[in-house]
Amino acid sequence: MDLLIDSFLSALLLVTSLDPEIVSIVGVSLKVSGTSTILASLIGVPFGFLVAFESFPGKRLLITCLNTLLALPTVVIGLFVYAFISRRGILGPLDLLYTQKAMVIGQTILILPVVATFTIAAISRIDERYRKTAMTLGANRMQTAFVVFREARFGIVAAVIAAFGRVIAEVGISMMLGGNARGFTRTMTTAMALEYDKGQFSLAVALGIILLGLSFGMNLLFHFFQGRARA
Amino acid sequence: MIVYNISQLTKVYGTRTILDIPLLEIEKGLIYALLGPNGAGKTTLLNILGFLESPSTGNILFRSHPVRFSETFLQPLRKSVVMVEQHPILFTTTVQKNLEFGLKIRRIPTKERNQIVKESLDLVGMRNFAQAQAHRLSGGETQRVAIARAVAANPEVLLCDEPTSSVDPENQVAIINILRQINDLKKITVIFTTHDRSQVTSLAHHSLFLDHGKLVGSPSENFYGSNKS
Repeated sequence: MDLLIDSFLSALLLVTSLDPEIVSIVGVSLKVSGTSTILASLIGVPFGFLVAFESFPGKRLLITCLNTLLALPTVVIGLFVYAFISRRGILGPLDLLYTQKAMVIGQTILILPVVATFTIAAISRIDERYRKTAMTLGANRMQTAFVVFREARFGIVAAVIAAFGRVIAEVGISMMLGGNARGFTRTMTTAMALEYDKGQFSLAVALGIILLGLSFGMNLLFHFFQGRARA
Repeated sequence: MIVYNISQLTKVYGTRTILDIPLLEIEKGLIYALLGPNGAGKTTLLNILGFLESPSTGNILFRSHPVRFSETFLQPLRKSVVMVEQHPILFTTTVQKNLEFGLKIRRIPTKERNQIVKESLDLVGMRNFAQAQAHRLSGGETQRVAIARAVAANPEVLLCDEPTSSVDPENQVAIINILRQINDLKKITVIFTTHDRSQVTSLAHHSLFLDHGKLVGSPSENFYGSNKS
């Protein structure tokens, strides 16, 4: 019990004093996860929108596949991307392994299905009458799509927030593709794993507090937008 | 002038024939009531007249021009025909922006747009609601704003699917008066579906009775149908 209290108190001191190492680790985490969330959103939102908006053969099968990909373990993605970017891989000459770029690639693959499926859910929830109303008022296909997108906007924002929440807390991809290099690819989760291995809990608990705070903030935002979507 | 000339029109879902209309002509500038029991095909006919659904077979002439049921051909036609649904839905924004939607699509300049919005809201007695959030309106108010939104787009034909079925008696009277005014002042052809025969008497120039997808002579058709002609 003493260990926990001591670690917690030292952690609070580290957080409140804005320890340079913590600031660096949090910075790397936010940069990598933020970039992968933006990339996944740029691909996943239009893709999810198209899947939900259009009718085509195999649509249900595609949605089932996307739902299955939600359960993809981070280590599987880590291995998959590693096979491509390691020295012997097709993308080996690009020298991406153990860089932030490699982490971004892996994390983007991880959350792409999250963004796409949540976008599909958000669009599917939109009342069919919006589409019909836009059409009868003279809207073309693009304008009708924009109406549906606009009505689903809060649900789509919630999808992006959920994806960020997923990616900021992952450890497998960051460890396998980033390598946990101090100051370069060390994120909150990989740093916590390392500190745990070393038996030094202060930094791990401090990062845990920040990660929980971030997750809490993300969840607050998520529920706010979900609430707006249902209003 | 004939606005719609329909011949040999059918609509089939699976093995079920929803509509089977050998001949139907709709004259410009008049009000038509479309009667019939639930499932008679009234809404399907309105959807086809509104170019929102394609018939299975048959020909439609709109303003003497044959209609081709392909999206690229139908989209410009929809600018001339607007449908108000039985339970209309308003975009989740202000009433003003709801009315502006059809005008922006028609590239009406801002100044003119504001004027049309004001006039249309005046017509339905909702001028003070321009800045109200549309999703906070009552059922009757929503129906009136939906009509105003349709009228603002200045269509040649206004299709209303049971416009008074989900509103209180006070709003029913108001909506009937609004439809009459739209026809009188703007010379817009109005086609509405209803179960209420008194509305046919008070509003329609012609009544059409649909039963199992076929146009039939209702026992009261002559009595009601000729009262305005």
